[in-house]
Amino acid sequence: MSAALPIPVIQLLQVLTVALGAPGVTGVIAKVEARLQGRRGPRVLQPYYDLAKLFRKEALAPEGASWFFLAAPLIAVTAYLTIPLLIPVLTTYGLPLGYMGDILGGGFLLSLASFVIATAALETGSPYAQLGSSRAKTFSAITEPVVLFVVFTVALLTGTDLPYALAATVRSSAGQVIRPAHLLAATALFMVILHETGRIPVETHTGTNEFGMIEEARSFEHSGPYLALLKWASELKQLILFTILADVFLAPWGLAASQHLDSVVLAIAALLAKACAVGCVVAVIDNSFAKLRLFKITEFVSAAFLIAVLGVFTLYLGGG
Amino acid sequence: MDPTQAPGVYEGVANVIAAVMLLIEFGLLRQALARDQIRLYMAQSALISVLAIVIAADRNLPDLYALAGLSAALKVVVVPLVMRRLLGRTGPEEGEEAAGVAGSQTLSPASAVLAGIVLAAVGFFCFGALKIHGPAAPALALALAAAMVLVAFGLMIVRRDVASQAIGFFTLENAISLAALVVASGLPLILETAFLFDLLVAVVVFGMLIRTHHGRSESLSTSDLTRLRG
Repeated sequence: MSAALPIPVIQLLQVLTVALGAPGVTGVIAKVEARLQGRRGPRVLQPYYDLAKLFRKEALAPEGASWFFLAAPLIAVTAYLTIPLLIPVLTTYGLPLGYMGDILGGGFLLSLASFVIATAALETGSPYAQLGSSRAKTFSAITEPVVLFVVFTVALLTGTDLPYALAATVRSSAGQVIRPAHLLAATALFMVILHETGRIPVETHTGTNEFGMIEEARSFEHSGPYLALLKWASELKQLILFTILADVFLAPWGLAASQHLDSVVLAIAALLAKACAVGCVVAVIDNSFAKLRLFKITEFVSAAFLIAVLGVFTLYLGGG
Repeated sequence: MDPTQAPGVYEGVANVIAAVMLLIEFGLLRQALARDQIRLYMAQSALISVLAIVIAADRNLPDLYALAGLSAALKVVVVPLVMRRLLGRTGPEEGEEAAGVAGSQTLSPASAVLAGIVLAAVGFFCFGALKIHGPAAPALALALAAAMVLVAFGLMIVRRDVASQAIGFFTLENAISLAALVVASGLPLILETAFLFDLLVAVVVFGMLIRTHHGRSESLSTSDLTRLRG
């Protein structure tokens, strides 16, 4: 039996796992994607080298931009690093700070981060950055109802809106996994995540084609360490969303049930493995469907909305 | 019923199958090619056979295995084959893509889905309020079947082409089969089979309709029918 870790250390480890694991997960996805396209692809560690390089570079701000332009990346990364405190990343039991916000609290932090990045992009006066932030805000407004309905489903399933409670409910019996409300909510959330991480339906997350850009375009005017922070923020966001999907909805197994070192280490490995597995699925989906035209995005979102609404309906009839 | 309590695994599986069938119905609403519509119909029909097998295995009703086999043979193989041949014949040239049904939407796909959600909600809550509990399958599956019936009607209304309307009618039959499985899965096999053969009649009628309509107006669209002829 190994030593028991103090609770604050585990809490810190949750944040560190997400912070340090995020570029790695992005690297794995990029590698898998390249292999699917018949390329050799970059090293798995490439995102770390990219970040290290950018952190050493000089930072420039466009003329006329205020202090907010430089503060925004910091605020965004801080918001993203607060979320791992609220969701089950490593443990099945709630950590002390885990109850300072519920699912809506996590949602607010995600929106806050995206809002400050968009505002910073508006500061620049560059048309592409503004286009990107305007698109990002428009489309996040239409995906919001889907997220709300997923939250409603969680609330009806557990009687609370705490992510820990849902994970515990899903773990409790096979009947909870197979029930339609749970599967429909998880599917709707997965579709939202595809959209939010800039995969299908319209965005090319790696390309520099302005027409397909939503999120990527917002960091056009940032440079040096600030650009590095923004890149890191989008990797963090991706890992956080994958963690919510895997540890709260789809597979809340492999989390540490005790404070022992070995179970926590196992939980870290399990989380990264689950995130990479979700990433592989995303990469396969990304490579097997054609991109939609930008204004077809409402169709994609309406499909996700339909699935989320059906989840709530089935619960209201009992037995869903 | 307390929603935080999960129903059993068997009920969960039956409900999930019914829910996926309803989602396929929605998929038909926005599908642009007749070929893909037929594919979705095949998937939906295959699912209802799977549901019959699940009910048969769990509730020990061996008749349902036969029904599942028969229904799969008819709805997954025969009906799609007949539909493909019919639509193939209406294609512009030999070997070309069958006539498209893309332009037949009267609502944009997103609005059609929203309208479908409203229809499904009506079906859901009306049947939920009736509180019919079959011995075999859960009440939720019945409500899903009711929603499917209404969405299938919606499909026949919002699409202005004969092919979509035929598929809409066939999926209507699927929805009714689902409801029958839920409330009366112990029905004698001979009656169930008789219902299946009703479908064959419908296929023949719709086949005639598609061919006559195409022969007269050179298209699958029913919007030409609004013009008065002297």
